[in-house]
Amino acid sequence: MILVTAGLVLMLAGGAFAVSLRRWPLLAGRVYLGFFLLGGLSTAIPAAAVLAGATLPELRLATNVPGGEWVFGLDPLSALFVLAIAGVGSCAAIYGVSYLAGGRSAGRVATAHAILALLVAALMAVVIAQAAVPFLIAWEFMAITAYLLIVYEADRPDVRHAGILYLVATHAGTLALFALFALWGNGARDLTFASLAQRAPLPAATATFLLVLAFFGFGMKAGMVPLHFWLPSAHAAAPSHVSAVLSGVMIKMGIYGLMRVIVLMGAPPVWAGWVLLGLGVVSGLLGVVWALTQHEIKRLLAYHSVENIGIILLGLGAGILGMSYGHPLVAVLGFAGAALHTMNHALFKSLLFLGAGSVIHATMKRDIDKLGGLARSMPVTAAVFLVGSVAIVGLPPLNGFISEWLVMRALLVGATNMERGRLAVLAVVGLALIGALALACFAKVTGILFLGTAREKESAGNVHESPRGMVGPMVALAGACIAIGMAPVLVMRPLSRVAYMLAGLQADPRGGLADAAPATALSVLLAIGFVVAAGLAIVIRRGRSRPRAGTWSCGHAPATPRMQYTASSFASPLLLAFRGVAGVHVTRTAQEFATHTRDPVLEGVVFRASRWVRATSDRLRPIQKGRLSLYLLYIVATLVALLGWLLLTGMEP
Amino acid sequence: MNVNALLTLAVLLLAAPAVPGIAVRTKSMLSGRRGAPVLQLYYDIAKLLRKGSVYSTTSTWVFRIGPWVVLAALLAATLLLPLDGTRAVLRFEGDLVAFAGLLALGRFALVLCGLDTGSSFEGMGASREVTIAVFAEPALFLCFITLVLATGDVSMSGMLGAPLVEAWPRAAASLTLVGISLFVLLLAENSRVPVDDPATHLELTMIHEVIVLDHSGPDLAAILYASALKLSVFGALVVSVFAPRTGLGPVASIAILLAGIGLVAVAVGIVESLTARLRLNRVPQLLVGAAVLAAFGIILLLG
Repeated sequence: MILVTAGLVLMLAGGAFAVSLRRWPLLAGRVYLGFFLLGGLSTAIPAAAVLAGATLPELRLATNVPGGEWVFGLDPLSALFVLAIAGVGSCAAIYGVSYLAGGRSAGRVATAHAILALLVAALMAVVIAQAAVPFLIAWEFMAITAYLLIVYEADRPDVRHAGILYLVATHAGTLALFALFALWGNGARDLTFASLAQRAPLPAATATFLLVLAFFGFGMKAGMVPLHFWLPSAHAAAPSHVSAVLSGVMIKMGIYGLMRVIVLMGAPPVWAGWVLLGLGVVSGLLGVVWALTQHEIKRLLAYHSVENIGIILLGLGAGILGMSYGHPLVAVLGFAGAALHTMNHALFKSLLFLGAGSVIHATMKRDIDKLGGLARSMPVTAAVFLVGSVAIVGLPPLNGFISEWLVMRALLVGATNMERGRLAVLAVVGLALIGALALACFAKVTGILFLGTAREKESAGNVHESPRGMVGPMVALAGACIAIGMAPVLVMRPLSRVAYMLAGLQADPRGGLADAAPATALSVLLAIGFVVAAGLAIVIRRGRSRPRAGTWSCGHAPATPRMQYTASSFASPLLLAFRGVAGVHVTRTAQEFATHTRDPVLEGVVFRASRWVRATSDRLRPIQKGRLSLYLLYIVATLVALLGWLLLTGMEP
Repeated sequence: MNVNALLTLAVLLLAAPAVPGIAVRTKSMLSGRRGAPVLQLYYDIAKLLRKGSVYSTTSTWVFRIGPWVVLAALLAATLLLPLDGTRAVLRFEGDLVAFAGLLALGRFALVLCGLDTGSSFEGMGASREVTIAVFAEPALFLCFITLVLATGDVSMSGMLGAPLVEAWPRAAASLTLVGISLFVLLLAENSRVPVDDPATHLELTMIHEVIVLDHSGPDLAAILYASALKLSVFGALVVSVFAPRTGLGPVASIAILLAGIGLVAVAVGIVESLTARLRLNRVPQLLVGAAVLAAFGIILLLG
């Protein structure tokens, strides 16, 4: 724990240096990065050790605050998230230094660096806190620092709107968490997680109420449907390296919270598994359909976070069902899938956001329908973005496939072994549909953005590859995606520690998930296929002529860039099929075909509700006139009413 | 890894290009023409392999590696099929997810190739390809789930191997529905009538052929071979469901497999002669129909 604490201090020191040295931006950036990376490393080392099987002593601070000691500790669950935060945070910090350089005033850039350091430290504190009070304090720190980063470009009105929406949503969620821990602590010795866990098994009614609060509070942060409405605008508004942290790790705090609740509760009721499975399918499907309707690249990626949260929830649901129906293998597989997908999504989603940032940095455009052909001017960005796309769609041989395979395997094994709960296997069909839609969506993004030719002339001009400080982190993240995908054996054993902990089992060194044979077979299989095809390609193509010509236009006039397929046209057959839930507005004239989108939940439910609240409050407004005499009258009236009530109830206090 | 599995795999890889030829020959015989030789595709591939490739000035490296990724994905997927009726070259728990994933990888690579040319023809084909896949993928998984429930085994080798033989008497109705559903998926996944028309060229009506319009030389050969292999792989799936084979010698097993795939190809030719291509917005209905058939299979098993 000393290393972890030292890491947090180093990161915060880096942030402080960034601000104090702001007069010399180049130096400030270097010192900030040096401290930040050192901090990231010193938190990652103990986390990796814990995942490898070590146990570390807890850090206990006696305080006078109600709620008992402040306990900090690293168990496998915390360690997994610390590792993700350290990795994604470091990549985002490196990227951010180049991304923000030269944009705005040095002072604002320095403040943004310092706040990012604070956010990453707060995220770490959330996952190492083992008591409710420090957990909630860290949670609020995280929420507020994230808000400050989201409104970095506060001169744009849409950014300010996104910020307010985020702030309202996150506080509504936090309120539920306060209620959750207050209710849970009622009857426990104090508010440390260990004491909360001792209340298990909870009475059924209490457990139900706690789970509803947890689903609301943590679900709001995770962005599961229908509580996702704040997420797309907030993630699109933030600077890209911040979006990477928000989408990659901050929304995972909701998942962390749910996992922690599962661990503390011991044996969650069966219905929780079914509800999570249902929420997972709904979030996954609606998230990807809504993503398909988007043409603004960062909003599109943000909706994909909703989709991937859905896949993680599917894993959690399968795990709980496995626990409840007494099938440990299903439980372990489901939880392992959820845990690995959390890690994977942190990697590939931050990679994609950083890639989107590079595109925006180079072209100053966010609308994919205006771009095209960037693979030529930005080859590295195109390559890593393609890696990220293949990973997020869940295609072999990359990491997204491994986690989706674990989740599906849990559900399929459950179908053959669990007497009750076999119907859960139908979630596999949902997952298949989600995967196919995600493939369509990322074919659209990668194809329209990087392939073909530029759709607007001026965007073809001085577009350039990003500087090394931005390319480096993306390459590192892509490398991690490939490593986990090609050699899943590497992660199986650490992962099984997390999964066994979630399933409430003692780690079994032989059976279940630690058996890495299937994963090895998978790697071998893919390696064979690719080696054979690559060999064929090389042998056959040797010494052949390769003339270049225009694209074959079937004998018609040569194609112009304006004749290319656009994102709107590419997605239109699918949106037609899903028009019931997509919320798309189509403009179709003789010259133009375009689609515009709105979020059905945000505009249909949240805005309508808030309009109703405002209209109702307006009717109460006459009470507030701002005249002193009126308020005195209210006070007198209240006093009279109270006296009258005392008289009626017989003068007893 | 057993010798029989490798042997059968080799035979299938060699025989694959003849399968589309059988379908075409059936079609031409039914319409009273002589038609192209069954082995035409071998000649085409041999010719293309001797040529160079022309690349569009618009296209990038994605276009060049695409066809080989398609081929690699299909080769890897073939390794998972229990072609000799008992076990595949590679098997592991949940490998059916890998099978579907590899087919999807091939599709992704092909679609990106199409978009890389910057032609609106190919963009249109790419868009239609992914749209159809969205409806085909859940149907494929429903078929697999029915097989998993019927056999109690979560691997391709199990659910299409020995346990399937025992499952037939218990679950004949479900398995028949799955077989029919898989045949419809074969038509859709391999771009045959009534979903797509492989016979047309330079028309706006087609899907697969239009995506590969700009490929030439060895690249096109890789795609043509991969398409033929995909048809054979789906044929082998249908044959494995309807004629699970265990306890036969390798020769008999291979003979049954090849004869079965040949019959499937003839059936494809017959379907293509009897029906017209569906309007594009009717295709999802056909695939949802296939999915519903498989779902009925599940209901029968759970009931």
